[in-house]
Amino acid sequence: MTRFTWLQSRTQTLAVGALLAALAIALAITGIHLSHLYSDLVKPCAANGDCGLATGEFSNHYNFLQGALMFLLRVAPAIIGIFWGGPLIARELETGTYRLAWTQTVSRQRWVLTKLAGVGAMAVLAAGLLTLAITWWYRALDSLNDSMWGVFDARDVVPIGYTFFAFMAGALLGAVLRRTVPAMAASLGLLVFARIAIQQWVRPHLLSPLHQTVSLANTGFGFMVRNGGRPDLVVKAGGPRGSWVINSQLVDHSGHVAGAAERMAFVAQNCPNIGPPPLSKPNGPVPAPPGAAAAFHNCADQAARTFHVLVTYQPASRYWPFQWLELGIYILLGLAAAGLCFWWVTKRII
Amino acid sequence: MTIAALETEGLTKRYGRRTALSDTTMTIPAGRVVGLVGPNGAGKTTLLHLAVGLLEPTSGSISVLGDRPGSGPEALARVGFLAQESPLYSRLRIDDHLRAGAWLNPRWDADFANARIAELGLDPRQRAGTLSGGQRSQLALTMAVAKRPDLLLLDEPVAALDPLARREFLQTLMEVVAAQSVSIVLSSHLISDLERVCDYLVVLVGGRVALSGDVDEILATHHLLSGPQRDPSSLPASQTVLEASHIGKQSTLLIRTTDPILDPSWTVTPVTLDDIVLAYMKRARDGVPNAPRGLAVAS
Repeated sequence: MTRFTWLQSRTQTLAVGALLAALAIALAITGIHLSHLYSDLVKPCAANGDCGLATGEFSNHYNFLQGALMFLLRVAPAIIGIFWGGPLIARELETGTYRLAWTQTVSRQRWVLTKLAGVGAMAVLAAGLLTLAITWWYRALDSLNDSMWGVFDARDVVPIGYTFFAFMAGALLGAVLRRTVPAMAASLGLLVFARIAIQQWVRPHLLSPLHQTVSLANTGFGFMVRNGGRPDLVVKAGGPRGSWVINSQLVDHSGHVAGAAERMAFVAQNCPNIGPPPLSKPNGPVPAPPGAAAAFHNCADQAARTFHVLVTYQPASRYWPFQWLELGIYILLGLAAAGLCFWWVTKRII
Repeated sequence: MTIAALETEGLTKRYGRRTALSDTTMTIPAGRVVGLVGPNGAGKTTLLHLAVGLLEPTSGSISVLGDRPGSGPEALARVGFLAQESPLYSRLRIDDHLRAGAWLNPRWDADFANARIAELGLDPRQRAGTLSGGQRSQLALTMAVAKRPDLLLLDEPVAALDPLARREFLQTLMEVVAAQSVSIVLSSHLISDLERVCDYLVVLVGGRVALSGDVDEILATHHLLSGPQRDPSSLPASQTVLEASHIGKQSTLLIRTTDPILDPSWTVTPVTLDDIVLAYMKRARDGVPNAPRGLAVAS
C-alpha cells in the first residue's frame, strides 16, 4: 500500500519538490548576499553606536522578496492542506476509484492510514523545509527587529503544525463531502476560521499575560472623536522591549479600568476647550486656534495625575514556548481530524 | 455440499428512507456463471457492493464463500470485483495499474495480466484516462481476474460497451471461466447480454428476488401455450400461469410446470429466456405475491 500511495502521489510530490528546490536556490543566493550586506553595513556601525541609517539601508534590500516570502509562509500551509489534503480521499470517492482500491486485498483501514500518514508526511516535510529556508533567510533581518511577535506565524515551527492540521482537515472534509471542489472550498473556509480563531482568541492566552503599569507621561496619548461624539482620551503604550502588547488600558489610582464613558466625562470636565478639530480647508492645514496648545498641555497634566496605563503583554522570552505550544495545538487538532477521517472512511462510508 | 458463492438471509439495505434491498433471501451456488438481472434500480449494484464489503447491510446477513464480506485480507483476496463503469486511475498508466495490482494482492498473477495486455494490443505505457470504453473494461477485467479470486463479481460490465466490445468482453470472460475454476456473478438490466454466457439466473426486481434458478431448468419448465380461449383457472394445479393474453377466440398463456403438458388442444411453443424474465419482472413490478423462488437450487 505504501508503494501504491507513492505511485499515486508521486507527480505532485515531485512537482512540489522541484518548486522547493528552485526556491531553495534563490534563497541561498540572496540569503548569502544578505549576510554579506549585514557584515558590511550593520556590523561596522554597531561599534560606533548609531545604527539607524545603516540598518534602514540594510532592511531595504530585497523588499519585494521579503514581502513575498512572508506571504508565502503564511499561505503555504493552507494551500498544501487544500490542494494536497482536499483531493486525497475526495477524488477517489468522486471518480469511483475507491471501488477499485477497496476491493484489492488491502483493508480500508490500512488504505486510509497509509494515505494519511504517507502523503501527510510529505506535506509536513515540504512545510518543514519551507519554514526552515525562510526562517534562515530572514535571520539577519529578524535580528534587527525589536519584536518577533509580528512574524510569529511565519517563522520557525508554527507553520509545520498549521500544515499538518490543514492537510488532515482537508482530507477529512474530502471524505465527508465526497467531492473535490466543495471539499477544497470548505477547507479554505475552515482554515481561515481556525487561523483567525487561534490568533485572536487562543494565542494571547496560551500563558496568562503579564501586566505593567506605565505613567501616562511616558506614553503617547491624545484625544479622538469618533463619529462626531464627545472627545475621548486614547493611549498607546508599548510593553517591555520585544514584548507583544495585547492591550493597554487607562486605569485610575484605585486600579479601576476607566471605560469610554468615564474617559469622556473626564475630558468634558477637565478639558472643556478640547473639541472636534475645525474642518480642514482645501488649501492647507488650519491654524490651531489661539490658546489650544496651552489647553492641551493643561489637560494632559490633569490626565497624568488622574490615570496611568496598564499594559497587558506577552514578554519576548515567551516566543519559543509559544511556538511549541501552538505547534502542539495544531498537532492535536490535526490528529483529531485524522482520527475523525479514519472513522468516517471505515465506519460511515458503508 | 459445497459452500455457496453468495448467500443472503433477510438482507436489507436502506439509504436513508429509500430501500434498495428488502428482506432478500437467496443462495447463489458456486462454480456457476450467474446472471443477476433486474431493471434499473432493482438493487443489483447494492447487492454486489454488499457482497464485496463496500456496503454493510442495514439488517439481515450476507456471506460470500462462507465469509462475511470484507472481513479480512483472506476474504478480500478471494473475491474479485469489477465495478460499474470500470473505475481506473485515469492519470496512471496501464503498467502502473498492473504494478499496483501486484503490490496490493498476494495472489496476483502477473504473467496472466501481462499476457492479457499484450493480447489486447495495448501499450503498457498508455494512461488509463486515454483508453476507450472497451479497453477500460478489458483492463479492469484483467485486474479483477489477475487477482486470482475464487469468485468474480461484475457489475453491469457490458452496459456501456458497443456490440463489438461487448462480444469481445464476454469472450474474454468465457476464456477465463474455461481456464480457471472461478465462480462468476455478473449483473445486467438486459438478459440478452448474459444469455450466451450464464448458466444460472437470478432476477431481482424492486429489491426482491423474482426468480432464481438454473437456466436450463428455467427453460425446461416454462412453456408458451396457445389454443382456443379458455379460463386459465381451468388448468391443472401443477401449471402456474405467469402471463395470459386473450385475442379474439385465441388464448396465449405463459406457464410454469414441471409436469408434461398433456392437453392436446394446446400448441406448445418453446419460450425464450427473455420472455420468461420479462414476465417475472412484470409480475414483480405489479406486485403479484408468491413469486416462485428457487426452482430447486442446484447445490
